[in-house]
Amino acid sequence: MPSVLRSRPRYLRNVLFGFMAMAVGVLAVLSAEVRHEMRLFQEEPVDNVHWNLTQLELDLVLLLSAAELALERDEPPLDELRKRFDLFYSRTDLVRQGAMFERLDLEMIIRPLIARLDGFLQRATPLIDGSDASLRAALPALVEDVQTLRMDLRSLSIRTVEQYATQADLRRAELARLLRQVAATSAALLILLVALLGSVLYLNRQAERKTAEVLRVSSRLQATVATALDGVIVAGLDGRVLDFNQAAERIFGFSRDEAIGQGLDRLIIPARHVAAHEAGMARMRDTGKKKVVDAGRIQITAKRKSGEEFPVEMSITSNSGPDGMIFIAFLRDISEPVANERALLAARDKALAAEQAKTNFLAVMSHEMRTPLNGVIAAIEIVGRKAVDPSQAKFVRLAQSSAKLLLRHVNDVLDISKVEAGHLALSDSPFELAPMLASLTDVLRPVAAQKATEIELDIGPDLPPVRGDSFRLGQIVQNLLSNAVKFTDGGKVVLKAVLHPQGGGMALLDLSVTDSGIGIAPEDLERVFEDFVMLDPSYGRTDAGTGLGLAISRRLAEAMGGQIGAESEIGKGSRFWLRLPMRTADPAAPAPAESARTTAKPGADGPFLDLLVVEDNATNRTVMEEMLRLLGHRSTLAVDGREGVTKARVHRYDAILMDISMPVMDGMTATGLIRAEGLSKDSRIIAVTAHTMPEELERFRGAGMDDCLTKPMTIRDLARTLAAISAPPSPPPPAASPQPADAVLDALRIEDLRQALGADGIRRTVAQFLRDTTATMDRLRSTASSPAEARALCHELAGAAAMVGAAHLHRHFAGLEAQLRNGDAKALAAAQADTDRLWADAAAALGALTKA
Amino acid sequence: MNSIRRFSAALMIAAGLLSAVAARAEILPAPQGDVILTVSGAITNTNDDGLARFDMAVLDGLPRHSFATSTIWTEGVDTYEGVLLTDLLKALGATGTNVLAKALNDYEITFPVADATVEGPLLAYRANGKPMSIREKGPIWMIFPYDDVEAFRTEQTYSRSIWQLDRIVVTE
Repeated sequence: MPSVLRSRPRYLRNVLFGFMAMAVGVLAVLSAEVRHEMRLFQEEPVDNVHWNLTQLELDLVLLLSAAELALERDEPPLDELRKRFDLFYSRTDLVRQGAMFERLDLEMIIRPLIARLDGFLQRATPLIDGSDASLRAALPALVEDVQTLRMDLRSLSIRTVEQYATQADLRRAELARLLRQVAATSAALLILLVALLGSVLYLNRQAERKTAEVLRVSSRLQATVATALDGVIVAGLDGRVLDFNQAAERIFGFSRDEAIGQGLDRLIIPARHVAAHEAGMARMRDTGKKKVVDAGRIQITAKRKSGEEFPVEMSITSNSGPDGMIFIAFLRDISEPVANERALLAARDKALAAEQAKTNFLAVMSHEMRTPLNGVIAAIEIVGRKAVDPSQAKFVRLAQSSAKLLLRHVNDVLDISKVEAGHLALSDSPFELAPMLASLTDVLRPVAAQKATEIELDIGPDLPPVRGDSFRLGQIVQNLLSNAVKFTDGGKVVLKAVLHPQGGGMALLDLSVTDSGIGIAPEDLERVFEDFVMLDPSYGRTDAGTGLGLAISRRLAEAMGGQIGAESEIGKGSRFWLRLPMRTADPAAPAPAESARTTAKPGADGPFLDLLVVEDNATNRTVMEEMLRLLGHRSTLAVDGREGVTKARVHRYDAILMDISMPVMDGMTATGLIRAEGLSKDSRIIAVTAHTMPEELERFRGAGMDDCLTKPMTIRDLARTLAAISAPPSPPPPAASPQPADAVLDALRIEDLRQALGADGIRRTVAQFLRDTTATMDRLRSTASSPAEARALCHELAGAAAMVGAAHLHRHFAGLEAQLRNGDAKALAAAQADTDRLWADAAAALGALTKA
Repeated sequence: MNSIRRFSAALMIAAGLLSAVAARAEILPAPQGDVILTVSGAITNTNDDGLARFDMAVLDGLPRHSFATSTIWTEGVDTYEGVLLTDLLKALGATGTNVLAKALNDYEITFPVADATVEGPLLAYRANGKPMSIREKGPIWMIFPYDDVEAFRTEQTYSRSIWQLDRIVVTE
């Protein structure tokens, strides 16, 4: 409240008090005067003047009549006269002695009367006190004297009364004036008192109202503070507790009575923080600077009654109260949240670590499992070659397909764990979408054809070159395509790709694979992208379904910043789509690495090798070039099989690193051509492929390749493989020809057969083989138009050849099968001469065997 | 408080009766000199046909009392000696409730017997050890100790201060 307002009633009151003091002073003076006047009437009363004067006159009259009676009768006694004289005499005393009149201030007035009376008494008293005779003689004179006195007395007393009346009037008037003044002053005082009373009443009512308000506010505040969930502690500048609410009691364990008056330092501040606290308080006292106060929420350590320290969240505000500055601290015990948070963090870290460990474990295990699995597959392959019994063959096939499935599982899991572990390295290099997608569809066409399904590639004619990870994109598309083929019988699969330019060098690849297959139920549509989901278990059991293909695709798409999804209608087909942001490659840039380049040997350890790298993917090419450079080798680059063949013919390379899937000419074809003629026909050819399946390995060998490197390769893998070439100065490689360098027949296998069947058994078996194979060969020649059937026949022939140990023939047919599977429909016709020759060789060798 | 007052009143009545009996036992002597006071009315102890007549000697025979005081009618302080009215009434076995006092000049006043106490009034017949003449408001002046007792400095008391007293009538 502004001070002016507050001081107004006070000022008014002061004025009132001033007036009252004045009024009381005036009253005191007046009442003193009144008391003085009243004393004249009361405390010093006098006998009635009128009465006494009348009595004096009466006594004189009685004396006169007694004297006249005595004169008339002229005889004794004179006692009555003397008594009357005495009575008169005694009455005159009252006047003469003057006490009464003196007190009434009537001395001057009465003086003539006294003089007159004295004169009479001096004359008469000797006569009265004398003898009867002398008195009688003097009677006439006495009577005359008394008569004269009576007249004088009359006029004198009247005058006296008049004067007395005047004086009395004056005195009364004076008293009346005084009383009026007293009354006026009293009235004024009364008014002042009433005003003061009013002011006091007003102030009182205000004070009451204010008190009620203060009470209401303070009780509300008290209740608020008392019931607050946070601890509230109020302390003075000296650090002593002024208030301590229930929550604070609960938090700290001190009762309010225990806490109040105690220093905070001994109460709730841990011993090691006391010095800092006191320094802070001292600073605040001396400089008024606040550090913690009004600084918002802070976290500090506090101490309970038990001595236990715990974290609190606290905010302090200050306020200057009537007793100086006070501090109000709001405290919240956060030991539980802090502990919870800690536990939660620990649990999360543990879970993350466990997850990481699991992922790492999976990655390591998958990786480690692949090697032995390859061994298993290779072993089964070898065993399968020697299987004689159809039931054994069946089991071997079962083992083969199981092993392949297992390998795919392992590869899938490895992919997933790579993505999950964040180890997936995405390449970013320019590539052409059209040839890539074309090769993917080409690969699957034979499989689709087996199911009478057609694959259609619907891409615009002018897809610009883009940058990104073509391998991972291919993996997704391949997965979508193979799924579509898998679930479509006698229908159509359309791969459609559109590139929407987005500006800023970005484009959105909108790719979809639409089939007319069995479709997916709506409730399953989302689930298909989850791990290990197989909608058709029967299918999964018979074919290579891992249930991870789409899960991997989803992860890859997301890792590349894209989205994948599906729409479907049961019985009508499905549509899987992929939307991927891609950077467009500069179309003006030269086509990726068209010409061979040579890198200088950096002078590293190990033998220097002159290498040809045949690789269509620019990134992979660059990576390999870089790796080889690091290993100290020189590399020449070729972008496809055809270029590789051209280069290999005119230069003798120590080794050729050959990609398998390439546009224009694939790696296997190129290998065959290089082996056929040219300076590098004896060079080691190492397959470089993402396809790590052992069956493929066999195919590569069959095509004339010496070794295989799995993409993505590590520099160690590369070094190891190349070391095998250079370390032992290998003998000149076998003559480059489609013919195998080894024997026509597998001696070991023959020996096995001999032991199992005996000579006759072999003879019968060989005869059977020759018969069957002749027939099959005829069928193969006549059904060249159907690649699927041709492939199946090749497969059958390869198996039969392996069974009888016709190793060369087996490899030939296996190679053909692989080529057919890769969509090389012309391979059969191209290899016709070889087939015939090898068949003749094998038949001759077997025939010789049976004769022996 | 009341009981104490009642008790003391009873004591006083008893004392009065006793003294009355004692007074009656010895006959009030008849006056030998000039009679200066005559008491009549409801009194039981008389010396002349239902009257109690006093000369100076008979008055002197009653219990004597004195005090010094100033008066509004005289100058200075004088010592007055005489008999307390209450003692006189007791001696006469007065049974009335009111007293009528009369002076030589026939001035008269009436007041209750109860107003006659041991403090006053005094029927003074000597001032400063000398008998008072009529000229000196004698021979008997009924006087109060105005100086000692403030309650006597009132108009009523002054009017009761009758001088040249010569007759008293005790009435029922």
